[in-house]
Amino acid sequence: MSRAYRITLKESETRRLTAGDEISTRLEILEILPPEDMATLLRNELKGRGFEEQPDGTLVRKDGDLSVTVDPCTGEVTVAAGAEATVSQEARRDATGFNDIGPNEGAMRDRVKDQLKQELDKRFEAEQQKLQARATERLEKHLNDIQPEVSEVVNKVTRDALKEKARQMGTVTEISEDEETGNLTIKLEV
Amino acid sequence: MTRPAGPPTPAPDGPKAVSRFEYNLVCVLRFLLGHFPADRGLQLVRAAAARPPCLSATAADLVKDSLAKACVLFLVRAGGWRDERFLRDRQPAGGRAWDRWPSDERALSFSGHVVEFLLWATAERVHETGASWDAPPAELTAADELFFWLAFDACRADGDLVAVLRRKAAFRQNRLLWLTAPAELTDDEEPAPPDFALWCAGTRAVVLECLQPVLTARWLRSERAKGQVGDWRRMRHQGRAEAATLAAFLDAAHAAGRTDLARFVLQTNSVLFRTDLAPDFWTEGLAAGGSPGRLADRLDARRAALAVPRQMDTLSNWQAAARGVGYFDDDYAASQLWKQTWEAADGDAVAARAAAAVAAIDPLRSGQPVAGSGQQADPTPAG
Repeated sequence: MSRAYRITLKESETRRLTAGDEISTRLEILEILPPEDMATLLRNELKGRGFEEQPDGTLVRKDGDLSVTVDPCTGEVTVAAGAEATVSQEARRDATGFNDIGPNEGAMRDRVKDQLKQELDKRFEAEQQKLQARATERLEKHLNDIQPEVSEVVNKVTRDALKEKARQMGTVTEISEDEETGNLTIKLEV
Repeated sequence: MTRPAGPPTPAPDGPKAVSRFEYNLVCVLRFLLGHFPADRGLQLVRAAAARPPCLSATAADLVKDSLAKACVLFLVRAGGWRDERFLRDRQPAGGRAWDRWPSDERALSFSGHVVEFLLWATAERVHETGASWDAPPAELTAADELFFWLAFDACRADGDLVAVLRRKAAFRQNRLLWLTAPAELTDDEEPAPPDFALWCAGTRAVVLECLQPVLTARWLRSERAKGQVGDWRRMRHQGRAEAATLAAFLDAAHAAGRTDLARFVLQTNSVLFRTDLAPDFWTEGLAAGGSPGRLADRLDARRAALAVPRQMDTLSNWQAAARGVGYFDDDYAASQLWKQTWEAADGDAVAARAAAAVAAIDPLRSGQPVAGSGQQADPTPAG
Protein backbone atom coordinates (compact mmCIF):
# COMPACT_ATOMS: atom_id res chain seq x y z
CA MET A 1 0.00 0.00 0.00
CA SER A 2 1.32 3.36 -1.00
CA ARG A 3 1.82 5.85 1.82
CA ALA A 4 2.55 9.49 1.21
CA TYR A 5 4.81 11.46 3.46
CA ARG A 6 5.69 15.09 3.56
CA ILE A 7 8.86 16.77 4.70
CA THR A 8 9.35 20.43 5.51
CA LEU A 9 12.78 21.97 5.41
CA LYS A 10 13.76 25.38 6.58
CA GLU A 11 17.10 27.05 5.91
CA SER A 12 18.25 30.33 7.29
CA GLU A 13 21.47 32.15 6.78
CA THR A 14 23.03 35.43 7.79
CA ARG A 15 25.57 37.08 5.58
CA ARG A 16 27.56 40.27 5.77
CA LEU A 17 27.14 42.05 2.45
CA THR A 18 29.39 44.82 1.23
CA ALA A 19 29.10 47.01 -1.84
CA GLY A 20 31.18 49.86 -3.09
CA ASP A 21 31.54 52.28 -5.95
CA GLU A 22 34.12 54.89 -6.76
CA ILE A 23 35.26 57.22 -9.44
CA SER A 24 38.66 58.71 -10.03
CA THR A 25 39.68 61.75 -11.93
CA ARG A 26 42.57 64.15 -12.13
CA LEU A 27 42.36 67.76 -11.05
CA GLU A 28 43.27 70.21 -13.77
CA ILE A 29 45.81 72.28 -11.97
CA LEU A 30 47.95 74.60 -14.06
CA GLU A 31 51.67 74.31 -13.60
CA ILE A 32 52.25 77.89 -12.50
CA LEU A 33 54.87 76.86 -9.96
CA PRO A 34 57.07 73.76 -9.90
CA PRO A 35 55.02 70.57 -9.30
CA GLU A 36 56.23 70.15 -5.71
CA ASP A 37 55.18 73.74 -4.85
CA MET A 38 51.78 73.21 -6.48
CA ALA A 39 51.42 70.02 -4.47
CA THR A 40 52.21 71.90 -1.26
CA LEU A 41 49.60 74.55 -2.03
CA LEU A 42 47.03 71.87 -2.76
CA ARG A 43 47.93 69.98 0.39
CA ASN A 44 47.55 73.09 2.56
CA GLU A 45 44.24 74.00 0.97
CA LEU A 46 42.86 70.51 1.49
CA LYS A 47 44.04 70.37 5.09
CA GLY A 48 42.15 73.58 5.69
CA ARG A 49 39.03 71.83 4.43
CA GLY A 50 39.23 68.94 6.83
CA PHE A 51 41.37 66.48 4.85
CA GLU A 52 43.82 64.41 6.85
CA GLU A 53 47.22 63.47 5.56
CA GLN A 54 47.93 59.75 5.40
CA PRO A 55 51.30 58.01 5.73
CA ASP A 56 51.39 57.49 1.96
CA GLY A 57 51.11 61.24 1.36
CA THR A 58 47.50 61.24 0.21
CA LEU A 59 44.84 63.35 1.89
CA VAL A 60 41.58 61.75 2.92
CA ARG A 61 38.31 63.10 4.19
CA LYS A 62 35.68 60.65 5.36
CA ASP A 63 32.02 61.20 5.88
CA GLY A 64 30.49 57.95 7.05
CA ASP A 65 30.79 55.48 4.21
CA LEU A 66 31.89 58.20 1.82
CA SER A 67 35.50 59.11 1.34
CA VAL A 68 37.39 61.56 -0.80
CA THR A 69 41.06 60.83 -1.39
CA VAL A 70 43.40 63.27 -3.10
CA ASP A 71 46.97 62.62 -4.12
CA PRO A 72 48.47 66.13 -4.10
CA CYS A 73 51.46 65.04 -6.19
CA THR A 74 49.43 63.79 -9.14
CA GLY A 75 46.17 65.64 -8.52
CA GLU A 76 44.29 62.33 -8.62
CA VAL A 77 40.97 62.51 -6.79
CA THR A 78 39.04 59.39 -5.83
CA VAL A 79 35.55 59.63 -4.47
CA ALA A 80 34.28 56.38 -3.02
CA ALA A 81 31.11 55.24 -1.39
CA GLY A 82 30.68 52.00 0.48
CA ALA A 83 27.77 50.23 2.05
CA GLU A 84 27.62 47.31 4.40
CA ALA A 85 24.74 45.37 5.81
CA THR A 86 24.16 42.21 7.77
CA VAL A 87 21.30 40.44 6.11
CA SER A 88 19.39 37.41 7.35
CA GLN A 89 17.29 35.36 5.04
CA GLU A 90 15.06 32.39 5.69
CA ALA A 91 13.52 30.01 3.21
CA ARG A 92 11.11 27.19 3.74
CA ARG A 93 9.95 24.46 1.42
CA ASP A 94 7.64 21.45 1.59
CA ALA A 95 7.96 18.28 -0.45
CA THR A 96 5.87 15.16 -0.76
CA GLY A 97 7.06 11.63 -1.46
CA PHE A 98 5.67 8.09 -1.50
CA ASN A 99 7.19 5.14 0.26
CA ASP A 100 6.77 2.79 -2.71
CA ILE A 101 7.41 4.88 -5.80
CA GLY A 102 9.83 7.31 -4.18
CA PRO A 103 11.72 9.41 -4.13
CA ASN A 104 13.25 8.16 -0.95
CA GLU A 105 13.48 10.54 1.93
CA GLY A 106 17.25 11.07 1.81
CA ALA A 107 17.26 11.95 -1.87
CA MET A 108 14.27 14.22 -1.50
CA ARG A 109 15.81 15.98 1.48
CA ASP A 110 19.02 16.62 -0.49
CA ARG A 111 17.09 17.94 -3.45
CA VAL A 112 15.01 20.29 -1.34
CA LYS A 113 18.14 21.44 0.47
CA ASP A 114 19.73 22.34 -2.84
CA GLN A 115 16.62 24.22 -3.90
CA LEU A 116 16.58 26.11 -0.63
CA LYS A 117 20.23 27.03 -1.03
CA GLN A 118 19.59 28.32 -4.54
CA GLU A 119 16.66 30.34 -3.31
CA LEU A 120 18.72 31.85 -0.51
CA ASP A 121 21.53 32.71 -2.95
CA LYS A 122 19.04 34.43 -5.19
CA ARG A 123 17.64 36.45 -2.32
CA PHE A 124 21.11 37.47 -1.14
CA GLU A 125 21.97 38.47 -4.69
CA ALA A 126 18.91 40.70 -4.81
CA GLU A 127 19.93 42.23 -1.48
CA GLN A 128 23.45 42.73 -2.82
CA GLN A 129 22.09 44.59 -5.84
CA LYS A 130 19.98 46.79 -3.62
CA LEU A 131 23.00 47.57 -1.48
CA GLN A 132 25.05 48.31 -4.57
CA ALA A 133 22.37 50.62 -5.90
CA ARG A 134 22.31 52.42 -2.56
CA ALA A 135 26.10 52.89 -2.60
CA THR A 136 26.02 54.17 -6.19
CA GLU A 137 23.16 56.52 -5.43
CA ARG A 138 25.05 57.94 -2.48
CA LEU A 139 28.15 58.36 -4.61
CA GLU A 140 26.22 60.19 -7.34
CA LYS A 141 24.62 62.50 -4.81
CA HIS A 142 27.95 63.12 -3.14
CA LEU A 143 29.58 63.92 -6.46
CA ASN A 144 27.00 66.60 -7.10
CA ASP A 145 27.73 68.03 -3.66
CA ILE A 146 31.48 67.91 -3.97
CA GLN A 147 31.74 69.34 -7.47
CA PRO A 148 31.62 73.00 -6.41
CA GLU A 149 34.14 72.35 -3.67
CA VAL A 150 36.56 70.77 -6.13
CA SER A 151 36.26 73.82 -8.39
CA GLU A 152 36.84 76.08 -5.40
CA VAL A 153 39.95 74.16 -4.41
CA VAL A 154 41.37 74.34 -7.93
CA ASN A 155 40.64 78.06 -8.17
CA LYS A 156 42.10 78.76 -4.75
CA VAL A 157 45.28 76.84 -5.50
CA THR A 158 45.61 78.62 -8.84
CA ARG A 159 45.15 82.03 -7.21
CA ASP A 160 47.68 81.24 -4.49
CA ALA A 161 50.14 79.98 -7.07
CA LEU A 162 49.74 83.17 -9.12
CA LYS A 163 50.35 85.31 -6.06
CA GLU A 164 53.42 83.31 -5.16
CA LYS A 165 54.71 83.54 -8.71
CA ALA A 166 54.17 87.29 -8.67
CA ARG A 167 56.14 87.57 -5.43
CA GLN A 168 58.98 85.65 -7.03
CA MET A 169 58.98 88.01 -10.02
CA GLY A 170 59.13 91.28 -8.09
CA THR A 171 57.51 93.37 -5.39
CA VAL A 172 53.76 93.05 -5.28
CA THR A 173 52.22 96.49 -4.93
CA GLU A 174 48.55 95.62 -5.19
CA ILE A 175 46.33 92.57 -5.29
CA SER A 176 42.64 92.82 -6.02
CA GLU A 177 40.24 89.93 -6.26
CA ASP A 178 36.69 89.95 -7.50
CA GLU A 179 34.86 87.12 -5.79
CA GLU A 180 31.94 87.26 -8.21
CA THR A 181 33.80 87.13 -11.49
CA GLY A 182 36.84 85.33 -10.17
CA ASN A 183 39.13 88.02 -11.60
CA LEU A 184 42.48 88.40 -9.91
CA THR A 185 44.64 91.44 -10.61
CA ILE A 186 48.16 91.59 -9.32
CA LYS A 187 50.33 94.64 -9.77
CA LEU A 188 54.01 94.31 -9.15
CA GLU A 189 57.21 96.21 -9.55
CA VAL A 190 59.97 94.36 -11.24
CA MET B 1 68.12 21.32 -97.49
CA THR B 2 66.05 22.30 -94.70
CA ARG B 3 63.84 25.28 -94.58
CA PRO B 4 64.98 27.96 -92.20
CA ALA B 5 63.02 28.14 -88.97
CA GLY B 6 60.22 30.69 -89.12
CA PRO B 7 59.27 33.13 -86.43
CA PRO B 8 58.02 31.55 -83.17
CA THR B 9 54.35 30.71 -83.16
CA PRO B 10 52.47 33.29 -81.08
CA ALA B 11 50.48 32.01 -78.13
CA PRO B 12 46.84 31.51 -78.98
CA ASP B 13 44.51 34.31 -77.92
CA GLY B 14 41.82 33.70 -75.36
CA PRO B 15 41.67 32.69 -71.75
CA LYS B 16 44.47 30.60 -70.32
CA ALA B 17 43.56 27.04 -69.54
CA VAL B 18 43.63 26.01 -65.90
CA SER B 19 42.05 23.18 -63.90
CA ARG B 20 38.74 23.64 -62.06
CA PHE B 21 40.57 23.92 -58.71
CA GLU B 22 42.94 26.51 -60.11
CA TYR B 23 40.06 28.43 -61.58
CA ASN B 24 38.38 28.48 -58.17
CA LEU B 25 41.63 29.54 -56.53
CA VAL B 26 42.05 32.48 -58.89
CA CYS B 27 38.41 33.46 -58.29
CA VAL B 28 38.95 33.30 -54.51
CA LEU B 29 42.07 35.43 -54.89
CA ARG B 30 40.23 38.00 -56.98
CA PHE B 31 37.36 38.03 -54.49
CA LEU B 32 39.78 38.64 -51.62
CA LEU B 33 41.31 41.49 -53.59
CA GLY B 34 37.93 43.03 -54.32
CA HIS B 35 37.73 42.13 -58.01
CA PHE B 36 35.15 39.35 -57.96
CA PRO B 37 31.52 39.36 -56.76
CA ALA B 38 31.41 38.90 -53.00
CA ASP B 39 28.52 36.44 -52.95
CA ARG B 40 30.21 34.06 -55.35
CA GLY B 41 33.57 34.53 -53.70
CA LEU B 42 32.17 33.70 -50.27
CA GLN B 43 30.51 30.60 -51.72
CA LEU B 44 33.85 29.39 -53.02
CA VAL B 45 35.57 30.03 -49.67
CA ARG B 46 32.82 28.10 -47.88
CA ALA B 47 33.02 25.20 -50.35
CA ALA B 48 35.56 22.39 -50.45
CA ALA B 49 37.52 21.21 -53.48
CA ALA B 50 40.09 18.46 -53.97
CA ARG B 51 43.51 20.01 -53.63
CA PRO B 52 46.10 19.14 -56.31
CA PRO B 53 49.71 18.54 -55.29
CA CYS B 54 50.77 21.81 -56.88
CA LEU B 55 49.66 24.60 -59.15
CA SER B 56 50.38 24.66 -62.86
CA ALA B 57 52.72 27.32 -64.22
CA THR B 58 49.76 29.05 -65.87
CA ALA B 59 47.85 29.26 -62.59
CA ALA B 60 50.95 30.45 -60.76
CA ASP B 61 51.35 33.20 -63.36
CA LEU B 62 47.74 34.24 -62.93
CA VAL B 63 48.13 34.37 -59.14
CA LYS B 64 51.29 36.45 -59.43
CA ASP B 65 49.67 38.75 -61.95
CA SER B 66 46.54 39.27 -59.84
CA LEU B 67 48.47 39.88 -56.65
CA ALA B 68 50.89 42.29 -58.23
CA LYS B 69 48.33 44.33 -60.11
CA ALA B 70 45.46 44.33 -57.60
CA CYS B 71 47.53 45.24 -54.55
CA VAL B 72 49.34 48.04 -56.33
CA LEU B 73 46.07 49.27 -57.81
CA PHE B 74 44.50 49.23 -54.38
CA LEU B 75 47.32 51.24 -52.83
CA VAL B 76 47.31 53.75 -55.66
CA ARG B 77 43.56 54.23 -55.41
CA ALA B 78 43.65 54.31 -51.61
CA GLY B 79 45.92 57.32 -51.52
CA GLY B 80 49.15 56.61 -53.35
CA TRP B 81 48.03 58.82 -56.22
CA ARG B 82 47.81 61.88 -54.00
CA ASP B 83 50.48 64.49 -54.33
CA GLU B 84 51.42 64.76 -50.68
CA ARG B 85 54.41 65.26 -48.48
CA PHE B 86 55.74 62.61 -46.13
CA LEU B 87 59.01 62.18 -44.33
CA ARG B 88 61.83 60.33 -45.97
CA ASP B 89 65.10 60.14 -44.03
CA ARG B 90 63.64 62.79 -41.70
CA GLN B 91 63.19 65.19 -44.61
CA PRO B 92 59.85 65.98 -46.25
CA ALA B 93 59.50 64.42 -49.69
CA GLY B 94 56.65 65.51 -51.95
CA GLY B 95 54.82 63.96 -54.87
CA ARG B 96 52.84 60.83 -55.47
CA ALA B 97 53.94 57.60 -53.78
CA TRP B 98 55.98 56.55 -56.81
CA ASP B 99 57.66 59.95 -56.94
CA ARG B 100 58.55 59.94 -53.26
CA TRP B 101 60.07 56.48 -53.13
CA PRO B 102 62.37 54.64 -55.55
CA SER B 103 60.91 51.43 -56.92
CA ASP B 104 63.18 49.13 -54.92
CA GLU B 105 61.94 50.65 -51.65
CA ARG B 106 58.28 50.35 -52.50
CA ALA B 107 58.30 47.01 -54.32
CA LEU B 108 55.81 44.52 -52.96
CA SER B 109 57.07 41.01 -52.53
CA PHE B 110 54.75 38.15 -51.57
CA SER B 111 55.91 35.05 -49.77
CA GLY B 112 54.73 31.48 -50.20
CA HIS B 113 52.40 31.92 -47.22
CA VAL B 114 49.95 33.78 -49.43
CA VAL B 115 49.78 30.92 -51.91
CA GLU B 116 49.48 28.40 -49.08
CA PHE B 117 46.59 30.41 -47.69
CA LEU B 118 44.90 30.51 -51.09
CA LEU B 119 45.30 26.75 -51.50
CA TRP B 120 43.82 26.21 -48.04
CA ALA B 121 40.98 28.67 -48.55
CA THR B 122 40.07 27.06 -51.87
CA ALA B 123 40.43 23.43 -50.80
CA GLU B 124 38.75 23.63 -47.39
CA ARG B 125 35.43 24.80 -46.05
CA VAL B 126 37.14 27.58 -44.15
CA HIS B 127 34.32 28.06 -41.67
CA GLU B 128 34.35 24.46 -40.48
CA THR B 129 37.61 22.92 -41.54
CA GLY B 130 39.84 20.98 -39.23
CA ALA B 131 42.82 21.36 -41.55
CA SER B 132 45.22 23.73 -39.97
CA TRP B 133 46.76 26.62 -41.76
CA ASP B 134 48.57 29.57 -40.29
CA ALA B 135 51.57 31.69 -41.05
CA PRO B 136 54.12 32.87 -38.50
CA PRO B 137 53.70 36.67 -38.36
CA ALA B 138 57.48 37.16 -38.25
CA GLU B 139 57.83 35.54 -41.68
CA LEU B 140 55.28 37.75 -43.39
CA THR B 141 56.39 40.50 -45.74
CA ALA B 142 54.73 43.91 -45.98
CA ALA B 143 52.85 42.71 -49.06
CA ASP B 144 51.69 39.56 -47.24
CA GLU B 145 50.30 41.62 -44.39
CA LEU B 146 48.57 43.94 -46.82
CA PHE B 147 47.06 40.91 -48.58
CA PHE B 148 45.85 39.29 -45.35
CA TRP B 149 44.31 42.58 -44.28
CA LEU B 150 42.44 42.82 -47.58
CA ALA B 151 41.42 39.17 -47.29
CA PHE B 152 39.98 39.67 -43.80
CA ASP B 153 38.13 42.73 -45.01
CA ALA B 154 36.62 40.82 -47.91
CA CYS B 155 35.36 38.08 -45.56
CA ARG B 156 34.02 40.50 -42.97
CA ALA B 157 30.43 40.08 -44.14
CA ASP B 158 30.54 36.42 -43.12
CA GLY B 159 30.65 36.07 -39.34
CA ASP B 160 31.62 32.38 -39.48
CA LEU B 161 34.66 33.09 -41.61
CA VAL B 162 35.71 36.03 -39.47
CA ALA B 163 35.47 33.85 -36.35
CA VAL B 164 37.87 31.34 -37.90
CA LEU B 165 40.30 33.81 -39.42
CA ARG B 166 40.67 35.96 -36.31
CA ARG B 167 42.07 32.98 -34.44
CA LYS B 168 44.96 32.64 -36.90
CA ALA B 169 48.19 34.35 -35.92
CA ALA B 170 48.58 35.71 -39.46
CA PHE B 171 45.44 37.77 -38.89
CA ARG B 172 45.55 38.18 -35.13
CA GLN B 173 48.95 39.87 -35.30
CA ASN B 174 48.22 41.80 -38.48
CA ARG B 175 49.10 45.42 -37.72
CA LEU B 176 46.84 46.81 -40.42
CA LEU B 177 43.92 44.91 -38.96
CA TRP B 178 44.75 46.25 -35.54
CA LEU B 179 44.85 49.75 -37.01
CA THR B 180 41.45 49.42 -38.60
CA ALA B 181 39.43 47.07 -36.39
CA PRO B 182 41.23 46.49 -33.08
CA ALA B 183 38.13 45.35 -31.20
CA GLU B 184 37.69 42.43 -33.59
CA LEU B 185 41.06 40.95 -32.72
CA THR B 186 40.92 40.78 -28.97
CA ASP B 187 38.63 39.44 -26.30
CA ASP B 188 40.82 40.58 -23.43
CA GLU B 189 39.85 43.18 -20.86
CA GLU B 190 43.30 44.68 -21.27
CA PRO B 191 44.11 44.46 -24.99
CA ALA B 192 47.74 43.99 -25.95
CA PRO B 193 48.29 45.29 -29.48
CA PRO B 194 51.44 44.24 -31.34
CA ASP B 195 54.47 46.46 -31.72
CA PHE B 196 54.05 48.87 -34.63
CA ALA B 197 57.73 49.78 -34.95
CA LEU B 198 58.08 47.59 -38.05
CA TRP B 199 55.31 49.54 -39.75
CA CYS B 200 57.06 52.87 -39.33
CA ALA B 201 59.93 52.12 -41.69
CA GLY B 202 60.66 50.64 -45.11
CA THR B 203 58.02 49.34 -47.46
CA ARG B 204 55.45 49.06 -44.66
CA ALA B 205 55.71 52.78 -44.02
CA VAL B 206 55.12 53.43 -47.73
CA VAL B 207 51.98 51.27 -47.51
CA LEU B 208 50.85 53.26 -44.48
CA GLU B 209 51.41 56.51 -46.35
CA CYS B 210 49.15 55.27 -49.13
CA LEU B 211 46.54 54.10 -46.65
CA GLN B 212 46.13 57.37 -44.76
CA PRO B 213 42.82 58.33 -46.42
CA VAL B 214 41.48 54.79 -45.93
CA LEU B 215 42.48 54.79 -42.27
CA THR B 216 40.84 58.17 -41.75
CA ALA B 217 37.64 56.97 -43.40
CA ARG B 218 37.59 53.76 -41.33
CA TRP B 219 38.08 55.55 -38.03
CA LEU B 220 35.50 58.16 -38.92
CA ARG B 221 32.99 55.46 -39.76
CA SER B 222 33.73 53.69 -36.51
CA GLU B 223 33.40 56.87 -34.45
CA ARG B 224 30.12 57.81 -36.10
CA ALA B 225 28.75 54.33 -35.48
CA LYS B 226 29.47 54.46 -31.76
CA GLY B 227 26.34 56.46 -31.15
CA GLN B 228 24.39 53.35 -32.16
CA VAL B 229 26.14 51.02 -29.73
CA GLY B 230 23.72 50.08 -26.98
CA ASP B 231 25.79 47.51 -25.14
CA TRP B 232 27.94 48.99 -22.36
CA ARG B 233 30.35 46.06 -22.29
CA ARG B 234 30.83 46.16 -26.04
CA MET B 235 31.50 49.87 -25.91
CA ARG B 236 34.05 49.43 -23.15
CA HIS B 237 35.72 46.58 -25.00
CA GLN B 238 35.88 48.50 -28.27
CA GLY B 239 37.09 51.69 -26.63
CA ARG B 240 39.81 49.95 -24.68
CA ALA B 241 41.05 48.13 -27.77
CA GLU B 242 41.10 51.37 -29.74
CA ALA B 243 42.87 53.31 -27.01
CA ALA B 244 45.54 50.65 -26.57
CA THR B 245 46.10 50.35 -30.33
CA LEU B 246 46.29 54.05 -31.03
CA ALA B 247 48.57 54.64 -28.05
CA ALA B 248 50.90 51.85 -29.21
CA PHE B 249 50.89 53.15 -32.77
CA LEU B 250 51.50 56.77 -31.79
CA ASP B 251 54.37 55.69 -29.53
CA ALA B 252 55.94 53.69 -32.36
CA ALA B 253 55.49 56.49 -34.92
CA HIS B 254 57.01 59.03 -32.55
CA ALA B 255 59.92 56.78 -31.65
CA ALA B 256 60.64 56.19 -35.34
CA GLY B 257 60.44 59.91 -36.13
CA ARG B 258 57.47 59.24 -38.43
CA THR B 259 54.81 61.40 -36.84
CA ASP B 260 53.52 62.00 -40.37
CA LEU B 261 52.21 58.41 -40.40
CA ALA B 262 49.80 59.33 -37.59
CA ARG B 263 48.18 61.94 -39.80
CA PHE B 264 45.02 59.87 -39.98
CA VAL B 265 44.46 60.25 -36.23
CA LEU B 266 44.65 64.01 -36.55
CA GLN B 267 42.49 64.00 -39.67
CA THR B 268 39.84 61.86 -38.00
CA ASN B 269 39.62 64.22 -35.06
CA SER B 270 39.71 67.20 -37.37
CA VAL B 271 36.66 65.99 -39.30
CA LEU B 272 34.84 65.02 -36.10
CA PHE B 273 35.52 68.27 -34.32
CA ARG B 274 34.66 70.75 -37.02
CA THR B 275 32.24 72.00 -34.40
CA ASP B 276 31.85 71.34 -30.70
CA LEU B 277 30.70 67.83 -29.92
CA ALA B 278 29.09 66.61 -26.73
CA PRO B 279 29.95 63.13 -25.42
CA ASP B 280 26.44 62.06 -26.39
CA PHE B 281 27.70 61.85 -29.95
CA TRP B 282 29.53 58.67 -28.89
CA THR B 283 27.41 57.45 -26.01
CA GLU B 284 23.79 58.29 -26.73
CA GLY B 285 23.11 54.72 -27.83
CA LEU B 286 24.13 53.24 -24.52
CA ALA B 287 20.91 51.83 -23.15
CA ALA B 288 19.94 53.22 -19.77
CA GLY B 289 18.04 50.00 -19.06
CA GLY B 290 21.05 47.73 -19.43
CA SER B 291 23.51 50.03 -17.76
CA PRO B 292 25.94 48.58 -15.23
CA GLY B 293 24.96 49.11 -11.61
CA ARG B 294 28.21 50.74 -10.60
CA LEU B 295 28.91 54.30 -11.57
CA ALA B 296 32.56 53.31 -11.95
CA ASP B 297 31.64 50.83 -14.71
CA ARG B 298 29.38 53.30 -16.47
CA LEU B 299 32.07 55.92 -16.38
CA ASP B 300 34.61 53.42 -17.63
CA ALA B 301 32.48 52.61 -20.68
CA ARG B 302 31.80 56.28 -21.39
CA ARG B 303 35.46 57.17 -21.08
CA ALA B 304 36.39 54.28 -23.37
CA ALA B 305 33.95 55.55 -25.98
CA LEU B 306 36.08 58.66 -26.42
CA ALA B 307 39.30 56.80 -27.14
CA VAL B 308 39.94 58.71 -30.37
CA PRO B 309 39.48 62.26 -29.04
CA ARG B 310 41.74 61.30 -26.15
CA GLN B 311 44.62 60.83 -28.61
CA MET B 312 44.61 64.57 -29.27
CA ASP B 313 46.50 64.89 -25.98
CA THR B 314 49.44 63.04 -27.48
CA LEU B 315 49.23 64.94 -30.75
CA SER B 316 49.11 68.23 -28.83
CA ASN B 317 52.30 67.22 -27.05
CA TRP B 318 53.90 66.53 -30.43
CA GLN B 319 52.82 69.94 -31.60
CA ALA B 320 54.26 71.60 -28.47
CA ALA B 321 57.52 69.74 -29.03
CA ALA B 322 57.56 70.72 -32.72
CA ARG B 323 57.12 74.36 -31.78
CA GLY B 324 60.22 74.13 -29.65
CA VAL B 325 62.46 72.78 -32.41
CA GLY B 326 64.95 75.37 -33.63
CA TYR B 327 66.17 76.06 -37.13
CA PHE B 328 69.52 74.43 -36.49
CA ASP B 329 68.08 71.34 -34.82
CA ASP B 330 68.20 67.99 -36.62
CA ASP B 331 64.44 67.57 -36.72
CA TYR B 332 63.64 71.05 -37.95
CA ALA B 333 62.29 69.95 -41.33
CA ALA B 334 60.24 67.14 -39.80
CA SER B 335 58.80 69.44 -37.15
CA GLN B 336 57.91 72.00 -39.80
CA LEU B 337 56.01 69.35 -41.71
CA TRP B 338 54.15 68.32 -38.57
CA LYS B 339 53.27 71.95 -37.80
CA GLN B 340 51.94 72.44 -41.32
CA THR B 341 49.80 69.33 -40.98
CA TRP B 342 48.58 70.51 -37.59
CA GLU B 343 47.65 73.94 -38.86
CA ALA B 344 45.94 72.57 -41.95
CA ALA B 345 43.80 70.43 -39.65
CA ASP B 346 43.10 73.40 -37.37
CA GLY B 347 44.82 71.39 -34.68
CA ASP B 348 44.59 73.89 -31.81
CA ALA B 349 40.83 74.26 -32.11
CA VAL B 350 40.36 70.53 -32.65
CA ALA B 351 42.47 69.72 -29.59
CA ALA B 352 40.49 72.20 -27.47
CA ARG B 353 37.16 70.75 -28.61
CA ALA B 354 38.38 67.20 -28.06
CA ALA B 355 39.63 68.08 -24.58
CA ALA B 356 36.27 69.66 -23.76
CA ALA B 357 34.42 66.56 -24.92
CA VAL B 358 36.69 64.32 -22.87
CA ALA B 359 36.35 66.55 -19.80
CA ALA B 360 32.57 66.62 -20.15
CA ILE B 361 32.49 62.87 -19.45
CA ASP B 362 34.14 63.43 -16.13
CA PRO B 363 31.65 64.08 -13.33
CA LEU B 364 34.10 66.15 -11.29
CA ARG B 365 35.39 68.27 -14.15
CA SER B 366 32.34 68.89 -16.27
CA GLY B 367 30.54 71.13 -13.84
CA GLN B 368 27.40 69.22 -14.75
CA PRO B 369 25.22 67.27 -12.35
CA VAL B 370 25.72 63.54 -12.33
CA ALA B 371 22.52 62.04 -13.59
CA GLY B 372 21.39 58.79 -12.11
CA SER B 373 21.06 57.07 -15.46
CA GLY B 374 24.69 57.66 -16.25
CA GLN B 375 23.76 60.19 -18.94
CA GLN B 376 25.04 63.67 -18.55
CA ALA B 377 23.72 66.93 -19.80
CA ASP B 378 25.48 68.47 -22.77
CA PRO B 379 28.47 70.48 -21.79
CA THR B 380 29.48 73.73 -23.38
CA PRO B 381 32.99 72.96 -24.50
CA ALA B 382 35.47 75.68 -25.10
CA GLY B 383 35.89 76.36 -28.77
